[in-house]
Order: sequence, then structure tokens, then C-alpha cells
Amino acid sequence: MDFRLSPEEEELRRQVEEFVREEIIPLEPVFDVAPDIFEGSRWKSRARLSRDPDVQRYIAIMEELKRKAEARDLWHLDVPKRYGGREVSNVAMIAVTEELERSSVPLELGNHVSNILYACKGEQVERFLLPCIRGEKTACFGLTEPEAGSDPSMMAATATPDGDDFVIDGTKMFPTFGDVADFVQVFARLPGTKGREGVTCFLVDTGHPGYRVVRSIETIAGSEPCELVFDGCRVPKSQVLGEVGEGWKLNQAWLGARRFQVGIRSHGAALRVLRRVAGLLPPGGRERDRFSAPLGHLRGELEALRIITYHGAWKADQGLDVRFEAASVKLFATELLHRAVDFALEAAGPAAYKKVHAVARAFRHARPRRIVEGASEIQRHLIQRALFREGIACVELP
Amino acid sequence: MDLRLSEEERLIRDTAARFVAQELLPREGAFLKQKEPFVPPGDPPRRKLDGGVEKSLIEKAKRAGLWALELPEAAGGSSVGQVGRVLIYQEFGRTVLPFEPPSIPAAVAASPYAARLASGDLSLALVFDESHKTGDLSAVRATYGRSAGGYDLDSDGIDVIDPDRDLYLLPALEHGGGVGLFLVEKTAPGARTEGAADLNNDQTTARLRLSVRRLPDDHRIGSAADAEAIIASEQLRIAARSLGMATRCLEASLEHARNRVTFGRLLSSRQAVQWMLADLAVDLRTSTWLTLEAAWKADCGRPYFADAALAKKRSARMAFEAADKAIQIHGGYGVAREFPFEGFYREARLMRLLYGREAELDRKVGERFAGTGL
Repeated sequence: MDFRLSPEEEELRRQVEEFVREEIIPLEPVFDVAPDIFEGSRWKSRARLSRDPDVQRYIAIMEELKRKAEARDLWHLDVPKRYGGREVSNVAMIAVTEELERSSVPLELGNHVSNILYACKGEQVERFLLPCIRGEKTACFGLTEPEAGSDPSMMAATATPDGDDFVIDGTKMFPTFGDVADFVQVFARLPGTKGREGVTCFLVDTGHPGYRVVRSIETIAGSEPCELVFDGCRVPKSQVLGEVGEGWKLNQAWLGARRFQVGIRSHGAALRVLRRVAGLLPPGGRERDRFSAPLGHLRGELEALRIITYHGAWKADQGLDVRFEAASVKLFATELLHRAVDFALEAAGPAAYKKVHAVARAFRHARPRRIVEGASEIQRHLIQRALFREGIACVELP
Repeated sequence: MDLRLSEEERLIRDTAARFVAQELLPREGAFLKQKEPFVPPGDPPRRKLDGGVEKSLIEKAKRAGLWALELPEAAGGSSVGQVGRVLIYQEFGRTVLPFEPPSIPAAVAASPYAARLASGDLSLALVFDESHKTGDLSAVRATYGRSAGGYDLDSDGIDVIDPDRDLYLLPALEHGGGVGLFLVEKTAPGARTEGAADLNNDQTTARLRLSVRRLPDDHRIGSAADAEAIIASEQLRIAARSLGMATRCLEASLEHARNRVTFGRLLSSRQAVQWMLADLAVDLRTSTWLTLEAAWKADCGRPYFADAALAKKRSARMAFEAADKAIQIHGGYGVAREFPFEGFYREARLMRLLYGREAELDRKVGERFAGTGL
């Protein structure tokens, strides 16, 4: 048993630590008052539409950071080698994100490439995948519907075969970037199929006839997911991603790999919020006395989150089944972040409830995490299902 | 990073698992069903492991290398390291039968009692009562001083669990100086116990008063660092035992829920039950890795005291909740003494109180975090 990063992983972690210290931390005061749109990777697409000179100023700063990261070969870390990336391990990506999360500046290293796009074949590679890797195009993810979320049996959108084409009909709710993405990865089922059978993923360009963005929906977290409608949207067979009828597997692969990043992101966000609050508790004072025990409790829980996140990522690197770990990390991480932020507000008091305050911001951003990409209830469902199917083996050591 | 058990670790774990499965679990039912012939009013009934059975188990455990885990092989121990020790205590935690390798800290290796402790001819009680509230040495009040021909050791009263053991190991404070670690024979002149009482978990506690003069030099076996290492090591033992208990509770609850029908449906189909077990499984998983990481750090010579304290706090709490849930899911059987869950419940509650109460440990972490951001 060895909990250390490999020498290569450790070297990468050290490079990112240095980059964060030298280039990112000095920008923190600037980003303390940045608009909400600079959370996560949203600046890479949505913010570009803004004419607000303030937003444009932040974009310029982020572009500069991107150039600096590229100069240090820190941009295409998780991209496979055959597409020019460094193809580092899941564990390494967790270590990288852990370092990035030391800062409140919302930088993600790399362009946003949804991992299912690596299933692209033939001309799809040149048309969809490579532009995403290069940062020239962005994609959105169309899975959830007005009446269907994590349960594939409820999916109503259909893809009807017609000659060499498919005709897609249906509505998709909440794809983030739906209004600005260059194309959508949309899931629909073949007529007459049930459950996860027949679910197929298509790549459809924005502006394609029959595909329209109905509206964007403002949320508590500043993100604006969209409602998309497909009305007789005809696409050629060549735009099926992966295999016909195998779309649900792609969806699960997309979620599975993301879970551990959600874990370490939540860890970092919670730690930053707690640090902020700890700074408000002067030594020897009444406040410190009152809040140090709950503060310490949450600090300890974050240690627990960190270690199961690394464990899950390690297991994924071994090519083992990580569905149990993925669900556990998603559940534990997002619920813990929520508790940490809630405590932070309690300790900081109403002054921290000002919209621009870091804690108030964290409060807004934490809440959706317990819902998106599988609500906590879905995660508990997946965990109990694995427990009753596989028994205690789920929790035994490898 | 390689989170698989090594060949050696697997061997250690499997040896302990086999011992528990072959020697302890088959005896558990009979142990649980024994009744006290006479129960004094007000006292909870208590069960004991038969003396002859215990002796034979000790011999078998010694042969299997599951004895005196911390002592070096030269001193007659198994010297398995902290990861190995965690794996072993985790297996022993699966049964409520009161039998596990005794804690014999490495610091006793150089004492005149090492061989007899390793062989099981002598038993040892760790008298760390003054550390139970805070989880450190800050509240130690027993005192020692140098005198002609040895040490003088004084205490106006420390609670000792298992006061019938042959030897007591305790930290004491030198006037204006540091902490020393001492071995005192139960029968040493100036050592007396009084007011024996039962704990809720079937162990006995008594008040130990010390006014020992001229304790031989070789009975001082360490200083503050050794005492702190014992606290951390005990925290890891408790954490590991907690993991075993929780695993058993989870396994039994899954089994019961798969078979028990209420209002025409299996308990396993009820969301209230499913979620209790899902949350428990996540907690068990997190506590397992916290404990193993702390033990691994100890074996690599890295600082691990804070990790061990966290592992114990979280795991003992988790074991308590596991027992609580197992009782609830088993209904009336859950509180019946012929099932192990009520025993786990009583024991886990005590484990939460040993070597640092939760709020104390939390507070220490909170103070550190507020001060250093780490």
C-alpha cells in the first residue's frame, strides 16, 4: 500500500503548484469582485458574448493565463497522446485540480472537451473533437428533459431512422452553454425502445434545421442552462456518436469520469470558504472559542473527502469498475460542501450574505451541485442498489 | 499511488480473517446466550469468556502471529507495522466476542517485563484515563520525581479499565519537567485500586491511587514522545476495530433486509432502509481510507498523530451509528442480547470517549486550522 503520487505525477503537481503560486494567486484580489460568470469554465464560451467591458477585461486576463499555462505545457493534460495531449492519469488530474483549487481564480487547465467525444470516428474527429481540443469549438450536453433526468426509462426524445438519416424530436432541459455552444451532444431513443435500450447519442450543429434554442434559464449559481427543442431535426447517420443504441453507456462514462473532479473541486471550494471564515475568528476571542469545534469537524470531513476522491481516481486508473466510488464521492462531496458553506455563513454572520462576498457566492454556487449530474437521492439509490446486488464486497479492500 | 494491499498485507489480513472465522465467530452465539446465574439488582448482566477457552485462544493467536503486534520479533512480538495492525484489528472487530491481541506498546520492549508480556504470562492495562478527555497529555496529573534508588510516583486517583491486569502503564508529569512513561506492578507497594464498578460495555473500571516509592529505574520506559505514540497507536486500534464492527453491522443488516417482509414487501425495497445503509456504506468507505492512510504514514515515519486522531474520531462515531442502524433494522432482535448489535452499540459508545472526545479533537483541529490554514 502506497499513498504517494508517482514521481511523474508528483513532478506535474509541483509544476502546477508553482504556476498557481506565481501566476494565479496574485490575481485573487482582481477576481474577488468578478461577475458570477467567471465560475468554472463558463468564461470560455458564454462570457464571450458579453459586450460589458468589465467582462471583456476578465476574459483578457484569463486568455493571458491560458497562454502562460500553454507555455509551461500545462494545457492539454488529460488529452490523449494521439491528439497531442499529455494523457496524464486520473490521479494526476485530481492532484492538478487540488492545486488549482487553492486559489479562488476560476481557472481550469485545458479546453472543455467532454470525454465522450473521444468516441468520435472518421470525419467526426476533424469536425467535432479536434476543434474542441484546440478551443475553437464548445459543446453542450443534452440529456435531461422536462420529465426525465437520471432515469433513462423516462426519456421521451426520439430518433426515428429514415433512410440514411435519423429524425430527432423532443425537448432537452438545462444544457449548460446550450445558447452559445457550437454543437450539442444530444441523446434520443429509437422508436419503440424502453429503458436504456435504444438510447443513441448524436452530434448536432447549432443552427441545424429543426434544432433551436428556446430560451436560457437564469439560476441561483449565475449559470444559464437552456431549453432546446428538436422538431423534425434530420441528421445523417454519420453524426451518431459511438454506436446506435449504445448512448446510455456514453452518458455513464461521461458522468463516471467527472465524479472525482467534482469531489476534488468541492474539497477545494469548501476549504477556501472555511479558510475565509477562519480568518474572521481572531485568536483568543469569543468567536474562535465558539466555532473552532464545528470548524475542526468540517476540516476533518474534508480530509475524508480528499482520500476517497484519490482512491476513486486511482481505481479508475486501474480500469476497475468505479460506479460505487463515483456515486459515493458525488454524494459525499456535494453534501459536505453544502454543510461547509452553510456553517461558514452561520459563523460569518449577515455581513457575509452580501452578493459579492466570497461566502455568499459559494452559497449560491454550492446549491446546484447536489442536483446536477445526478441528485444526491439518485446517488443513494445507486449505492444501495450496488450494496444489495454485490453485498459487502462493495466496501471490502481490493 | 498503489492502494492495493501488498502480498504481505494480504497475508496478514487473511490470517486474521481466518482466525476470526474459525476460532471466534463459531463461539459467538454461545457466548451471547450465556446467562448470569445471579445478577445483582441495578447491575447490567455481564458475560465473560470462559477462562479455558481464552487460554487456548491465546496460544492459537500466538502461533498465528496475531499477538504482541507492536513488539519487535526479538522481544517475542509479531512486529507487523501499523497498516498490518489496522488490518488485524479490523478483522477482530467483526465479532463482539471479547478477544483480540492485547495492546503492548513497543516502548515496553526494553523493560524487564517484555518477554512475559509477549508470552501472555503477564497482562497490561494502559492507564491513560487522564488523556481520554483531550486525546493528548495536557491533562496528565500523576506526578513523578527522582529519588535515591529510583522514582517516586504519585497520583490521587486515576480511573483504570481492567484493573485486574498484572501491570499498569501510565504517563506521569515531573514537577516542572516533562512527561515520563512508567510501568507499575499491580501489587507494587503504594499502588492500590478501589471502588471497582462495571462499565456499560461489560468491562470493569476502578480508581487507582499511587504513592509508590523507589520504583526501579528500568520501570521508566519512555518520555512524552512515547506516550503520544501510544495514544496515536490506540486511536488507530480503535479506528480499526470500529471498521470491523461497522462491516459486520452492514453485512448483517443487508442480509436481514433481503429476507424480512413487512406489509407485503421486503425491507430491502424500502427507501428508509436503503438510505440508512447507503449512507453507512459511504461512511465506512471514507473511514477505512482515512484509517489506512494514517497507519501508512506511521509506517513511513511521517507525522501521523493528527491523522490517527481523526481516524479514531470518525471511525468510532461511524461504528456507533452502524450499530444503531443495525439495531433499528433488526427491530426487536436488534436489542436482544443473543444478537451482537447491542454489544457493538455499547462498546462503540465507549470507544468514542477514549483517547479524545469528539468535540475536543474537533476543537484542536479547528484551532490549528484557524491559526495556520492547514
